[in-house]
Amino acid sequence: METSTAAAGTGQGEKAPVPRGRRPAWLPWAVGAVAVLACLGLQSQLYSGQERTVTTVFMFVTLAVGWNLIGGFTGYACFGQVGFFGLGAYTTVVLMVHGDLSFWVAWPISAVVAAVFAAAIGLPLLRLKGHYFAVATLGVAEGLRELVTNVPRWTGGGAGITIPSTGAKAPTLWLGNDGFYLLFLGLGAVSALVAALISRGRTGYALRAINQDEDAAAALGINTTWAKTVAFGMSAALTGAAGSAYAFQQVTIYPERLFDVNITVLMVVMVVIGGSGTVSGPILGALGIAVVSEYLRQHFAQWHSFTLGVLIIVAVILLPQGLVNFVRDAVRMRDFSLLSNVRRYRL
Amino acid sequence: MTEPEATPPTAGTATDESPVLRTEGLERRFGGLLAVSGVDLALPPGRTLGVIGPNGAGKSTLVNLISGHLKPTAGTVHVGGKDLTGARPWRVAHAGVARTFQIVKPFRGLTVADNVAVAAMFGPSPVRTPAHARREAAQVLERVGLGGRGDVPPAELSVADARRLELAKALALRPRVLLLDEVLAGLRPAEIDPALRLIDELRRDGLAVLIIEHIIQAIAAISDEVLVLHHGTVLTQGPPRQVLSDERVVEAYLGHRYTRKNRS
Repeated sequence: METSTAAAGTGQGEKAPVPRGRRPAWLPWAVGAVAVLACLGLQSQLYSGQERTVTTVFMFVTLAVGWNLIGGFTGYACFGQVGFFGLGAYTTVVLMVHGDLSFWVAWPISAVVAAVFAAAIGLPLLRLKGHYFAVATLGVAEGLRELVTNVPRWTGGGAGITIPSTGAKAPTLWLGNDGFYLLFLGLGAVSALVAALISRGRTGYALRAINQDEDAAAALGINTTWAKTVAFGMSAALTGAAGSAYAFQQVTIYPERLFDVNITVLMVVMVVIGGSGTVSGPILGALGIAVVSEYLRQHFAQWHSFTLGVLIIVAVILLPQGLVNFVRDAVRMRDFSLLSNVRRYRL
Repeated sequence: MTEPEATPPTAGTATDESPVLRTEGLERRFGGLLAVSGVDLALPPGRTLGVIGPNGAGKSTLVNLISGHLKPTAGTVHVGGKDLTGARPWRVAHAGVARTFQIVKPFRGLTVADNVAVAAMFGPSPVRTPAHARREAAQVLERVGLGGRGDVPPAELSVADARRLELAKALALRPRVLLLDEVLAGLRPAEIDPALRLIDELRRDGLAVLIIEHIIQAIAAISDEVLVLHHGTVLTQGPPRQVLSDERVVEAYLGHRYTRKNRS
């Protein structure tokens, strides 16, 4: 996948470059903190159906931010990301059901298992580029689904498996809608924090350099294998943690739903529309898609999927670099016209 | 094989005669094609070696073999006495070898300053924080003549400035060996002289410079020694004037008809 940054080269300054205004360093942190507080305050205003919807949005924020680490920053479009989601979920289920472990122990273990698994498959797969990497990771996710389906003694197979979450046999009592709201809010906030720290630090520079030219990155002393593996591992850890929490929230899980390729597709769409390779892009993408999708579901129930699809196509045509990158370019070039944006990207 | 003593030291330059870059019997095959074969070179600090040869002679392959972007099928590469044969590019960079690419490779999503800052952050003596790296980048940009252009994206640079950026990224590594792959290509005549002066300045600072170039006069002006590659092998090697008047070199470049023998 061409990421947003790659296309910036076509913007052969029709306008004189304007020096970028430096925003205060504390501003993004303040915005993040206010957003988290606002979400905490929002909770009491929601009835339970809305609360569950918003909880799902937080989960998709985590998933989009996670995918962005490997697909956005690094430029390795992983189409098997749902594999880490399912792996995290089933690790938690196996540990809670068969190991009788508390969710609070199983949760971090699941994230680590997903990260280690990603690093292990990353060593061979991250040598592939573009479509080859995408297809290979897709294969890994499908393989994981088959594996989970075929060991029913451990996973319940296709019939699903249920985590005991009430009564004395439950390793951890179900958290309730309020509890899961806070859990996923916390996870989303931590994911955004991780992405922000990576983006500002040396690793972020290494990943962006790799994204744009791996040979040039290596020539400047970047250990590309290590950097890519770290990004893939971090990405899988966040995704696995989300899968783990989702499994506990759902109580009963099935391989078909936990390894559903549509979940990967949603992550990719959210990142691309929001602005890949940025910190805020995936968050805004996840929020935007979720809000629009929910609105359409309520008002155009029958045409919901079709309309959402059309809107996504229009968004990608008008903002091929994603919302956040568009705004950044537009501010720099002082040109907010969507038409000239499309022209710049030569679509 | 060149003995460094064969070249008279350039006036006013103190050179340490032990080579910082040495290759022996360097060879690279692509299937049936022998792109580079039996290349021995020894480059001491403070010297410039010009590598010339017709298109397809193996010049860029030679740079790629030294920088680790290609693995040799035979032969060795030593940098500062350390064996780096077949080492990954980032290891070679950490050993103090910086290179530019024939086709410039800016990181298009980063500003000019951040492009250079990446090198400062990951080189042999890395600067740990991005802020510090950007300060270092500003100095390097100033040196190559890109001062004040740090905030623009590379796409807005002219051809000459894009070449300067390529050089700035290499210099921000603080290398001991600089491999320049056609760094003058696409420059206007007026832009070539300042570039040559800068390269010569770097050599005087003690860098070992290997420069690949098509512009023969430029190579002759700044090289202590010239090596001519032809069909992947060393045709001849020596001081510029001697090499450039060599009939075999004229023949390799312009064909048999243009050698003095056949013209007269």
